[in-house]
Amino acid sequence: MNDRSRGWMRALPVIAVVVGTGCDEVLPTASSDDLIQGGVAVEVTLPFTDFGTRARVYGGYGRASELAGGFIAHDFGTGPDGLAAGERGLEAATLLRFGRYPGFVSVTDTAGTNRPDSSLTFLSGRIVARLDTLSSILSGPVEVIAHAITEPWDGPSATWEFAVDSVGLRVPWSLPGGGVVEEIGSGVWDPEAGDTLSITVDSARVASWADTADLSRGVRLTTRAPGVRLQMRSALLWLETLPSINPDTIVQVLADTEATSFIYDPIPKAPDNSLRVGGAPAWRTVLDLDPPRVLHGPPELCDVLGCPLEISPEQISYAGLRLTTLAESPAFAPSDTLTIDIRMVTVPDILPKSPLGPPTTGFAGVVLAPEWFSPPAGHVVEVPVTGLVRDLLRGETPDGDPVSNTVALLSRFEPLSIEYVSFSDERSADAPRLRLILNFPPGSGGGG
Amino acid sequence: MRKTLLVLALLAMAAPGQASGQSFLGFRGLGVPVGPADGRSVALGNLGIGLGRAGLSVTDPAAAAHIPFPSVFVSMQPMWGDFQLEDQSGTMRTTRFPLIAIGYPVLSVNGTVTLSLAGYLEQRWVGHTARTVNLGGIDVPVDDRFTTDGGTSVARVGWSQRFGARFAAGVSAGAYVGRLEREFDRTLDSLVVGGDVRSYTEASSWHYGGYTLTAGFGADPHDLIHLAGALEWSGALKESPSEDTEGDENRYSIPLRLLWGATGRLSERLHLNTSFAYQDWSGADGFQPGVVSAKTLSYGAGLELQVVRRPTRGIPLRLGYRRVVPPFRYQVQDPVETAWSVGLGFNLVEVDGIRYGWMDVAVERAERSSAPLSENFWRATVSLGITRF
Repeated sequence: MNDRSRGWMRALPVIAVVVGTGCDEVLPTASSDDLIQGGVAVEVTLPFTDFGTRARVYGGYGRASELAGGFIAHDFGTGPDGLAAGERGLEAATLLRFGRYPGFVSVTDTAGTNRPDSSLTFLSGRIVARLDTLSSILSGPVEVIAHAITEPWDGPSATWEFAVDSVGLRVPWSLPGGGVVEEIGSGVWDPEAGDTLSITVDSARVASWADTADLSRGVRLTTRAPGVRLQMRSALLWLETLPSINPDTIVQVLADTEATSFIYDPIPKAPDNSLRVGGAPAWRTVLDLDPPRVLHGPPELCDVLGCPLEISPEQISYAGLRLTTLAESPAFAPSDTLTIDIRMVTVPDILPKSPLGPPTTGFAGVVLAPEWFSPPAGHVVEVPVTGLVRDLLRGETPDGDPVSNTVALLSRFEPLSIEYVSFSDERSADAPRLRLILNFPPGSGGGG
Repeated sequence: MRKTLLVLALLAMAAPGQASGQSFLGFRGLGVPVGPADGRSVALGNLGIGLGRAGLSVTDPAAAAHIPFPSVFVSMQPMWGDFQLEDQSGTMRTTRFPLIAIGYPVLSVNGTVTLSLAGYLEQRWVGHTARTVNLGGIDVPVDDRFTTDGGTSVARVGWSQRFGARFAAGVSAGAYVGRLEREFDRTLDSLVVGGDVRSYTEASSWHYGGYTLTAGFGADPHDLIHLAGALEWSGALKESPSEDTEGDENRYSIPLRLLWGATGRLSERLHLNTSFAYQDWSGADGFQPGVVSAKTLSYGAGLELQVVRRPTRGIPLRLGYRRVVPPFRYQVQDPVETAWSVGLGFNLVEVDGIRYGWMDVAVERAERSSAPLSENFWRATVSLGITRF
C-alpha cells in the first residue's frame, strides 16, 4: 500500500462522519380515513353520589382590610327581589386612617429657586376617594358622608361590632358601626361625572389628625341613601399647606394612608343548603372527591363500549365540575365578574387551616358573570378539573407527588370582594355533577 | 489503532440499523420492503445476488467465500420524495443506516464467517383526519393523528465455503428483529368542549421475532461469467406486544424466496449483470383479505464500466434498472416499484482485485404505485467499507 493509498484510508473515517450527519426526517403524512382506526369518544355526566362523598363550606379566610379598598352601603338588598321579611339590608362603612403628614415640601421662592421648606402650616384638607363605577350599585348621584371616628380602633381587625377584634383582644365599639362619630362633611358622587368623590376637611380636624399617637384618628365614610352599595378602590387625604418661604403660594401635599378597611352588617351566616365561594372574609367550599375507576353506566355508554368499563387517567380528555348557580342574599350578590379556582386541600385533617395545592384553572381562573347569580339563577357553571381527576385516578401527580381527595373551591384572589357566589349543594336536585369526556381505543370495553 | 478507530466509527454509524424506506404502502401489512442496501447493488439495479467480485452480501450467502481478509462495510441511505394519494400530495424525507455486514475469513478451511444486520420491512408514516364526534349532543371537532414508526430487520450469521477457484456455497441463519411504535393521538377542540382539554394518546409498542434460513451458491463456469442463486426460507414472523401494550401476538407467514443472478464480462472494463427474485405472497397467512399482492417476480439489470483503472485504485461507473413487486397493496391494486439508478465506486485502495477501502455511491430515481397511491423519490446510497482491518 503506497502513501497515497494510506491517505485515502485515513480519509475514510472523515467521510464516514460527514455522510453520517444531517439526518433529518419528514414522515409522509396524509389525511385519510384508510390510515386511521379512530377510537371512541363518549361524554358521561356523573351525579354527585358517583364521584363525591361530602361537601361543606368554611368561612373566615382573610380580612376585609386586605382588600385595600372599601364598601359603603345602606339598607342594600331590600328591593323587590330582596331579603325575606325580617332580614335587614346591608350596612357598610369604609374606615380610613391617615398617617404622618409630609415634613417638608419643595417650594419655589420669590427668586425663582426651588428650595425645601420644612416650616409648613396646614390649612385644610380634602378626602379624595376613587369609586368603582362598574361594581357600585346606585341609581343616581349619592351623598357620601365623612365622620371622624372618636374611639380607638384597629385598622386590620375592626368589624361592625368591634373596634379591635384580634387574637386575645376584643374591644367593642360603643355603638356598632364605628362608635360615636362626629360629622366632618359630605360630598355627592355622580358616577356619570367620573369616579372621584371629594370631601373637604377643616383645618381643626387636619390639625387634630397630625397627632399620630392618637389611635382614635380616622374617618368613617357612609351614606344615608337606601339601596346603595358603593365599592371604593382607594382614598387619599390631600392637605393644603402654606410654606414659610413663599407665603403667597398654597401647596397641596399628600398624607400617608395608614389603614383602609370596611365594616359591614349583617355578617352572612354559614349556608345550610348551598355551596359558597367568595366574600370578605372569604368563604370556601370543600368537596371530597372519589371519581370512579370503573363505570357501570349510563346506558348510552354501555351500549357503545359495554359495561363495566374500566377507565384510566389518560383516557380522560376532559373533566368538568358542573355547578348550578343560586341567587342568595342580594346584599352580597356579585355586581361584577368573579373568578374562582379549585385547588387540592393538601392536609384535610387540619381544615379549615389546611394549606392548598397550586391553582388548577390557570392564571385567569373560571370567570363568573354576575347575572348568573341573579334570580332565577340556575345557570350551570363548569369548572375544569381534568388534571385533578386524572391525578386522583392515578393516585399521584404527574411529578409523583401525593394527591388529596379533598379539594377547595375558592375565589381566585382571596379576599376579592364583599360579594360571594352560591351554588346548589349535594342535596339539591341541581347537585354538582362531573362531566367526563372519555376516549377508548376500538374494541375496548367490559363485558362480564 | 487507526483501523480499529475506523471500524468503530463505521459500527457507530450503523448502530441504529434500521431501514430506509418511508411509504404508505403496506400500511395494512408489514410495510414496504427495504431491498438491497449496498451502493454497488443499488447502482446496478441488482437485487442483491450474482455480482461478480468477492464481497459481502446479505442475500447472496456464497458471495463472501472469496474474500481474503476481514471486511466490514456499512450503508447509509438518505431519501427525498413526494407522494400523491387521491387528491392529496406531500413530501417525505429520511436518512437511515440500513445495512452493516462483516466477513471474517477462516483461511485454514477456505471459508468465511459472515455477520450482518439489514433492514427488511419498514412502516413509517403518519395519517391524520379532522372529523367531528357527537358528545352530549354537541358536534365537537377532533383531530386524529396516527403515527407508525418502526420496522423489521434481519440479523444473520452465515458461512461461505469456497470449493476450488470457481465454486462456492453458503448458508446463513437469521433472526427477525425490530420494533414498531404506534401512537394514536386525538385532540378535541377546546373552544367547543371547554378549557383544560387534554389530548388522548394511545401508544402501543410491538416487537418482531422469527427465523430465516438462506442457502445459496456462486459459480464461475467461465472466466467471463459469474452465476449465483439462493433460496430463502422463513418461519412465521411474529409480532408481539410489548409489556405495556395490550394485544395478542400476530403471526405472519413469509413465503419462500428464490433469487438468482448472473454477471457477464462484456469487455475488459464492461460488465453486465441481471438478477431475478421470485416470491409469491398470495398464499401468505396472517394478513387481512386483499392486502397481499399477487405479483411474484422482481428483476433488475445493470452495467458496470471501469472508467478509471490504476494499479491501486479504480473508479467504476454503474447504471441500472430494477422493477420489484412490494408484497402489500395500498388498496386493491398490486404495487410495483421501478427505479433507474446510477452510481460510482471509489475503490480507494485496490490491489490485485481486492478492495481494501472503498466507497460506493448510488443515486436512484424511483416510483411506487398502488392506486390510488403513487410515490416518487430520490434515494442515495453510500456504502463505506474496509478490508484487512
